[in-house]
This record gives sequence, C-alpha cells and structure tokens, in this order.
Amino acid sequence: MNEVTAGQVPAVAMRSITKRFPGVLANDAVDFEASQGEVHALLGENGAGKSTLASILTGLYRPDSGQIAIDGRRVEFHSPKDAMAAGVSMVHQHFRLAASLTVSDNIVLGDRRAGWLRTSARTIDTTVEELAKRYRMPVDPRARIWQLSVGEQQRVEILKALYRGARILILDEPTSLLTPQEADDLFVTLRRMTDEGRTVVFVSHKLDELMAVSDRVTVLRGGRSIGTVVTRESSPAELARMMIGREVMFAQTKKAQDLSRAKVVLELLGVNANGDLGIRALNGVSLSVRDGEIVGVAGVSGNGQRQLAEVISGTRPRTSGDVLLAGQKLRNADAEEAIEKGVAHVPEDRMGTGVAPSLSIADNLILKSHKRPPISRLGILRRGLALANARDLMKRFAVAAPDPETPTRLLSGGNVQKVVLARELSSQPVMIVAANPTRGLDVGATESVRALLIEAASRGVGILLISEDLDEILVLADRIAVIYEGRIVGVIPRAGADVQHIGLMMAGSS
Amino acid sequence: MNVNDSIVVVLAASAIFYGTPLVFAAVGELLAERSGVLNLGVEGMMLIGAVTAFWSVQNLSGADWFVLLLATGIGGLAALAVSLIHAVLAVGLRANQIVSGLALTIFAGATGLSSYVGNVARLGGQPAKHEFTALNVFGLQDVPVAGPILFHQNALVYASWVLVVLALVYLYRTRTGLHLRAVGESPETADVMGVNVARYRYAHTLVGGFLAGVGGAYFSLAITPNWIDGMTSGAGWIAIALVIFAFWRPELTLVGAYLFGLFSSLGFVLQARQVHLPPEVFASLPYVMTVVVLVVVSTGWAKQRLGAPAALGTPYVREER
Amino acid sequence: MIRIQRRQTTPRWLLVAVPALSLVAAFAAAALVLLVAGKDPIATYQRIFDRAFFAPGALTSTLVTATPLLLTGLAAAAAFRMRLWNIGGEGQLYLGAIGASGVGIALQHQPAPILIGGMIAGGLVAGAAWAIIPGLLRAYLNTNEIITTLMLNYVAGLLLLYLIFDSQSYWRDLSTFTARQFPQGKVLADAATWPAFDLQVAIVPFGFVLGILAAIALWLVYRSTVFGFQVRVLGDSRAAARYAGIKSRRVIVAMMALSGALAGLGGASEIGDFRHVLDPRGLQQAGLGYAGIVVAALARYNPLAVPVVAVLIGGLANAGYSLQGPDFPAGLVGVLQGTILFFALGGELLVRYRITFGSSRALVAPART
Repeated sequence: MNEVTAGQVPAVAMRSITKRFPGVLANDAVDFEASQGEVHALLGENGAGKSTLASILTGLYRPDSGQIAIDGRRVEFHSPKDAMAAGVSMVHQHFRLAASLTVSDNIVLGDRRAGWLRTSARTIDTTVEELAKRYRMPVDPRARIWQLSVGEQQRVEILKALYRGARILILDEPTSLLTPQEADDLFVTLRRMTDEGRTVVFVSHKLDELMAVSDRVTVLRGGRSIGTVVTRESSPAELARMMIGREVMFAQTKKAQDLSRAKVVLELLGVNANGDLGIRALNGVSLSVRDGEIVGVAGVSGNGQRQLAEVISGTRPRTSGDVLLAGQKLRNADAEEAIEKGVAHVPEDRMGTGVAPSLSIADNLILKSHKRPPISRLGILRRGLALANARDLMKRFAVAAPDPETPTRLLSGGNVQKVVLARELSSQPVMIVAANPTRGLDVGATESVRALLIEAASRGVGILLISEDLDEILVLADRIAVIYEGRIVGVIPRAGADVQHIGLMMAGSS
Repeated sequence: MNVNDSIVVVLAASAIFYGTPLVFAAVGELLAERSGVLNLGVEGMMLIGAVTAFWSVQNLSGADWFVLLLATGIGGLAALAVSLIHAVLAVGLRANQIVSGLALTIFAGATGLSSYVGNVARLGGQPAKHEFTALNVFGLQDVPVAGPILFHQNALVYASWVLVVLALVYLYRTRTGLHLRAVGESPETADVMGVNVARYRYAHTLVGGFLAGVGGAYFSLAITPNWIDGMTSGAGWIAIALVIFAFWRPELTLVGAYLFGLFSSLGFVLQARQVHLPPEVFASLPYVMTVVVLVVVSTGWAKQRLGAPAALGTPYVREER
Repeated sequence: MIRIQRRQTTPRWLLVAVPALSLVAAFAAAALVLLVAGKDPIATYQRIFDRAFFAPGALTSTLVTATPLLLTGLAAAAAFRMRLWNIGGEGQLYLGAIGASGVGIALQHQPAPILIGGMIAGGLVAGAAWAIIPGLLRAYLNTNEIITTLMLNYVAGLLLLYLIFDSQSYWRDLSTFTARQFPQGKVLADAATWPAFDLQVAIVPFGFVLGILAAIALWLVYRSTVFGFQVRVLGDSRAAARYAGIKSRRVIVAMMALSGALAGLGGASEIGDFRHVLDPRGLQQAGLGYAGIVVAALARYNPLAVPVVAVLIGGLANAGYSLQGPDFPAGLVGVLQGTILFFALGGELLVRYRITFGSSRALVAPART
C-alpha cells in the first residue's frame, strides 16, 4: 500500500459537484479527492451517485455546478476526448469495443498521432504487445474482440487507456463480469500502475475487494459524500454502516409475519441461468415464497436481479434447475404457461418491457389476457369488453388519464406503473414477481404501489419483491434474501434483522 | 480452332466485361454500408451516371481519352449529388433508410430524373461520339488464354482493378479506414474515441454515390454506347446483393461481380452453342446463392466472423450530455 | 447549435399538418425544377390534375393504375407497420399473376363466378407462398428479410420470363404457328374477365373493390382480432411481445403470408381486370410492387389511408403516361413521386423529434447513478 504524502497536490480534486437529472439529484455538492499513486475506491449502493460522479470526471456528463482540477489545474471537460487529453480515462462496466475489429485496432482507434498510412500495422502490434507485457496483461494484438474472454476484453480496455498515456484511470464496477482469478490479476495490474505514480479510481460496491486493493475509500450515499477513510484503518463493518445507515420513515409498512406454516407457492431449486452476454448470471439459486408472504430480494444492481425475475416469468431460459409453482414444475422459458398458471410479473423496465408504449391504456391492460375468454372468443377481440375492463381498472387503481384510448407513453411513470399493476393484479395471480416497482416514482405513487402489494399479500398472494431500494424491503418484506453475484447469500426474517449485516451481505462480505 | 475462341475463354472475358459496372457500384455501396448506411438507391444513381455521362460525351469536345475521362467524372459527380439527398435524410434527419433509398431509386431511376434528362436532351437513338473500347495492353491481346481475358479489356475494367486494390488498402491499412470500420461496427465506441460518426457516414454515402455513377457511366459508354431509358436493368439491385455476397470485402466483390457477369453473358453464349438449358436457371443462381449466403452469414457462428457491419441501417443518436 | 430530441408527445395537429405540408413543399420544389427546365409549373400541374382526375375517362384510367398500387400498398403497409421490411411485393405480385392465370387457364370452361373465385384464390395462395419463404428465414434463422425478399423478386421475374419465353409451359400459348414463333401467354377466356362497376363518374375495376374491402378488413383485423393485436404489440415493442407471451415467430410468418397474399391479389387483378394474359414484360416494366412501398410509406402504413394515396399516386402516374411526349417527358412522374416522398420522410422528422436551437448546455439525460 502506498503512503499518501501530505502536502502533495492531489491528482484529482472535485469540489462541490452537483448534478441533477429529471426527478433525481444524483450528486449533491460532492467533494472528492484522489492522490497520485493511490487506489481510491468509491463506495455506495445504487442511487448513491458514484457512477454519475465517475461519468462527470471522465467527461461524459457536465456538472450543473462545481469544479474539477487535475494535478492542481482547473479543467472543464466537454467530452470524453477532453478528459482523455487531460489524462483521464474510464474503463466502463459495459465495454466500448468494436467486436469484429482486432485488439490493436481497438486500441489505436481515434489516435491522431498514428501515421495516416498504417503500413506500420506490425509496429502497432509490437507496441501493443510491449505495453501488454510491461503490465503483465498478456493479450494477442491480432485477436478479434469477440474471440476474447471478458477478462481479456477488459485488459484491452485498460490498454486503450494506457496507450493514450492515462494518468488517472477510472474503473466502473470492474469485477462485475470477471471470475475471481481474473479479478486477482486485475488487482495486480492496478498495483503496477499505481507504482508508476498513476491514480486509480475504483468504483464498486464490493467490500472485500475494496478492502483488499484500495488505499482510501470515499463513501457516497443518497448523492452526498459521507466521508473518506483510510482503508487500512477501517473495517467492513464501518464501511457498511456508512454505506447503508439511514433512518427509515415510510407510512406503508407491513407487519413482519412468520408464515412458515403457509403453503409454498413458488420454489426455485438450484436455478442457473445466463445473462445477455452469455455469462453466468444466476448461480444455483434456491428460494421459496409462501402464500401471503412478501420475500424481499435485496442487492446492488447487476447481481442477477433482472435475470431472476425473467427466469421466473418465463422470458429467460434456465440452463439448469427447476421452478415450481404450487408444487408443479414450470416449463423452461415458457412465458405463456407462466402467465396462464398465474405468475404475474411487474418488470423493472416498465416502459420498455412492461407495456407497449404506443398502444392505448386499454390495449396494455389486456396485454396478457388478450388470447383468452372473456376478452377474446375465436380469435376476435371484444373491444367493448376491453374498454369496459379498462375503465373499471383505471378507476380502481386511480390511473390518471383522459380516457382508456390514450397512448400509454403519454402517462407519467407512476401512472404507467399503475397500469402495469392493475393488469397484473387483476389477473388473479397466485404469485407476483415485482422488480423495482417504485423506482423513479414520486412519494404518492410509491405509497400507492406499496399499498397494493400489501393488500395483495393479505389476500394470500405470494410476492417476490426484488428491489435495489433497501428501505422498501425493510418496510414490506416478511423475509429478506440477499443476492450477490447471482447467488442467494442469506435469507433472514425481517423481524430483528441487522441492517449492517444485510449491508455486508449485499457487498459480498459476511 | 484458336484456343482464344473457345467457350471458356470467351466466357471469362465477357464475365469481366459485363461484371465491371457491378464492381464499381458494389465497392461504392460497400463503403457506404461499412459506415452503417444502407443505400437502396444504387439503381437510380447508376442511371443518373449513365445519362449524364452520355450527355457529356455527346456535348463535350476534345481528345477521345479526355472526353471519356471527363464524362465518367461528370457521371460520378451527378450521382454523388443525388446521393446527397439520401445522405441528408438518412444521416442528418435519421429517416428510415429503406424507404429513403427506395425513394431515391424512384426519383432518379427509369421513370424519374434520369429518364427526364435523357428525354429532354433527346439523347435516345444516337450512337455515342466516344466510347470505351478494348485496349491492347502491352500488345499482349492475342496471347493464349490470358490475352483476351486480361489484356484486351477497356480502360474502366483496369480502373476497377485499381479501385479494388485502393479500397483494400484504405480499409485495412489506413487510419481512416479503421475509423470507418469502427463507425459501422459500433458507432458508440467510435464516437467515444473521438471519431465523427456523422461525417464518416456522409462522406462514404457520397463516395458510394460517385462510384455508382461511374458504374452507370460504364453502361452508356462501354457496354452499349448509346442511351436507353432504364438501361442498367436492375444492375444496381444486384450490386446491393453483391456486397453481402462478398461479405463486405472489396476483393470478393470482384469474384461476385464476375460471377454475375458470367451469368449475364452465359445465356447468349449458350444459345449460340445450341445448349438447351433455360438461361433463367443460370440467371437465377446468383440471387439464390445470395440468399444462401445470407442465411449462413446470419447464424451465430458466422455472424462475427463474416458478418455485416453491426450498426448497418440504424441511425445513430448520441446520448445527451 | 441544433439539438434534436425525441418528442414525448406528438400534438394532434402536427400529425395532419406535416404530411399535408410535405405535399405542398414537394410540389413547390418540383415547381422550381420545372421553372429551371423552362416550363410553366402552374400549367403543368393543371394538366396533370386534369389528366389524372377531371378529363373524361381520366378517373377510370387512374383507377386502372391505382388498383394494383392499392393492393401492393396494403401489402407493404401491413408488413412495414410491424417493422417487417417486405420489399418482395414485386415478386409476390408476379407469383400471384402466375397463380391466377394458371387457374384461369385450368378452369376456363367453368362459369364466371367459379373461374374468378379460383383466380382470386390462386393469386392469394401463390403470393403468400412466395412470401412465406423469407418469412420463415427471418422468423427462425433471423435472416434479413430486406435482401431475401429482394432476391426473390428477381427469381420471380426470371420465372415469369421462363414460363413464357423459354419453355413450353402450361402458361404458354402454343396453339398457332405465330404464337410458337413469338412467345406469348395463353389468353384467358372471356368469362375470366373480372367485372367492372360503372358509376357514371368512373368505371371501377373489381380489383379496386377487392382492394377497398381488403383495406377495411385489414383495419378491422388490427382493431378487433387477436392476431391484429399481436401484430400491433410486436410492431411496437419486441420485448413487450415476449413479455406478454406472444409467439413472435408465428406472427412474423403469418404476417409475411398475409402481405404476400395481398400482393398476389394485386397480381391476380392485373390478369383478371386488365391484361387477361400473362405478360412478363408488361408486369416487370410497371414496377408495381416497388410503387406500392411508396404508397404505403406516404399513407404512414394506415390501411384506410392507402386507397386515398393509391388513387393520388395512380393519378400522378396515369397523368404522366397520358401526357407523355416532347412537351412532357417521361420521368417527370418519377421526379414528382420521389420528391413527395423525400419531403414526407423529412417531415417525419418533425413529427418524431423536436428541433431546438440554442447553446450547448447539459440537458436531459437518462438517470444513471
């Protein structure tokens, strides 16, 4: 670990950075500082503001107010190019690589220093090879990106930055797609870079990694900076407390119940599934939900939550394992069967998946029931019935819109969610999977959504509440499961649960 | 009988002769598609090239080679001007590229601008005052086999070979070519690395237009040295298919173009030799083959190794900052 | 600097104003071209509209041109609305013509209703079959339908040529010595001529009536059938369709079949209403399939708007043909059509996006934290 020399000009100094997006204050007068030659971690859960801060530093966003100084010089970035010119480079969580081009191609892309005629292709390959060797990140310059493993692709991203002489390297959740071995190799590389005096800003929510590799940690929560500690002098428990600690103040709460004697409505046994890029997203997940129970799945975004919801609702295939509904096995990746058997799904992407945005409210309310009586008979849709159904549901669920024929995309986020809930709840489900149901909603809408879920549970519907908002789980769930890297790392009853312990589990350290 | 009169040699030479306009148009479309822009207006642009080049040849005076060079250039530029419409719509205004390209063909094609110009200037029914004739390169035109095939073609044929070489060098050996490939593959990546996506798309769509125009000029100045309404008879559409057939690689467009050229001339030649297979069977082979190739290219295995520029046909809108 | 942002909502007046304005702008632009060419735009337009609609017999001729455009326009509109780029209307129309004329020849001694009914069926089935091939390739192998349908257009064209010019096929007239020397198709029986309806102001071909019925039927399908509902969902959001348990692949194949059937009906109408013989050159020169795409695009894929646009475009084309001469070169039609389409496409931008001018400040961005 490097000693931070007092009095040195910090490599990065961000003062009073504020950034607002519609509906959310992502960064609230945040101060951040990183010294030369150190690995400085940015810790926080979702919504804490760490990715936004990193994006501002790398020139992707411009702050509403605040200043940035690199090596003591005030800078203003209008684009990532400016940041790169100042020596700041970011390795994104989702790589920016052109899949069919070679490693060398990707590395030199956009580099004006290279000659116009690349008859020096071999020279570039050699340069890349030497660079890779120096940092002990072996990679074949002539390989095409799609041929590489994820860890190797990340190396290419890092080499891209080093090739351009990056002095400050920002890594956004770098180990989210890596194997443990690849992650270790990465840490070794980072050390080599800081030994040369470069600065690494490491954005993550994984405590054990931060403890192992960083010199200092800055914790963000709710858009604010909570504090900066020297890693060596701190502990996972302290960090978790800083990351999670809050006062919970919501009106809609559910009395935590022990429903261990109720019937099991949903059961997952050893479910494995892959994500969109073919990498394992769910790892031997076993979970159960009983009638009338709300099981909250807590975790930081990107640990398999979306894939979990999709596997249960039948929109994503499992590679192994079973999903049982009321004791009966559900067919793999059959959304139609899941719908018919009574699995309701409130997806996290309500506009992109939960509704067909250009279609009317009435149409979206029959999105899943359109194939069956009473809405349709012999292939003919009974529009009158659909409209009446829509009016009824819109009243019951207080959807604010002029009429049922209004295109759904004109509605506010809260109303869209009400449409989704109205549809899912009115189908008399036996089980609901709700993923981030109140994300982006205002207080009023949030309260109504939670009230609806509580009411459904009281009628005996089993609910799997997957939420990146720990507050929500703490007020609604009967039992709390924590998901980390595609595994369920713990299930505890809500009554008497230790928030810090949950925080540790969410951050992978327990 | 002289081996140079044998069916194989004659066919090979004609394949090259008839395939050349396809090479120009296909390389042009290839460059545009590599930047991510699908231009279905190739047929229209070729016809514009044909008519303007013919007009130039009839109305400009000077030495043979000079007029032909100028005319070909004018044909290219006219087509480039027309392709600007598609570029503005597709790149600047993010319109639906398919409809825009088709509109271009209708606007400029056999019932459109090219026909209008040809009729207004009364270009029909006249023989060309200058035409591209077969050259005797290095005096080798009578060498067995290679003579008629390689050394007895017109100047544009040789120009097309130079074009393919230049395109290869450009794509794989220059920095700009690398940027082009990145733009078509992943415009977000290129953008972040400081490459101006819109500029590349505009530029290469226009270059595609120019080359299509040259291909069209070949029709009115080399194949049938006169002007007929709609004289390319679908060559533009074949060029589009050719780009896929060639897996977006310039050297393979030569192979594909000559194959198509072969099938064009096969019908006549076979009839002359009393072979009774319906010419349509041969003529349909290239199209069927393209479909087969496309199916192969679309499967996962091939998609990465051989596939289309990933961002082909989709407008690029940068996320707001 | 100019900033382009996607609109959240589209004011209703814009939806009507923009296509109308595009039309006006297009005519204005074309007028400029005419002026440059030394012609009087007002007079030219007057002549066009006269020959298209108002001169005696004009409306009838226009309907003749508009009928196949109506059907291929519906074919394209149905598919394109679902973002299924069926450019194969041309080939599917040829197959429909082949199918219809084949049935027409086979049933030539039957009474008219059976004969005509058979021709319609032949056209529908043949067109659908030709479109199902690329449909299956797209649905199950994810093969780009733009190119496959385009390629099949050529194969269909060659098939037409083969049947009449290079074979002794069933479709070919081999009855006389002249017919054997100068290849042509068998002329269909009189009973195979489709009826036409004399409405004083114009004579309406049966095909046009079928087209209107098809447009209404398509509209009803979208509104009130399960299939139509699924098509609308799939055209709007593939993710939502999967989420809703819709079997996307089946819908794709079914829609391609429907689109092909409509184009095939267009081919049947060409034979039954107008040509009465399989005429490869005539069919290929007309480019009816491609023109249908223009119609569909201008009608913004709305089945009820397609007949109106088809009549307008048909009128334009018809005027072009009948006015053709030294004073009115062929080609003006294409120029006008193309210009209208360009402006319509450009106008689309105004409908979908909002254009603002201003300084470069950080604006709306997706919330990422």
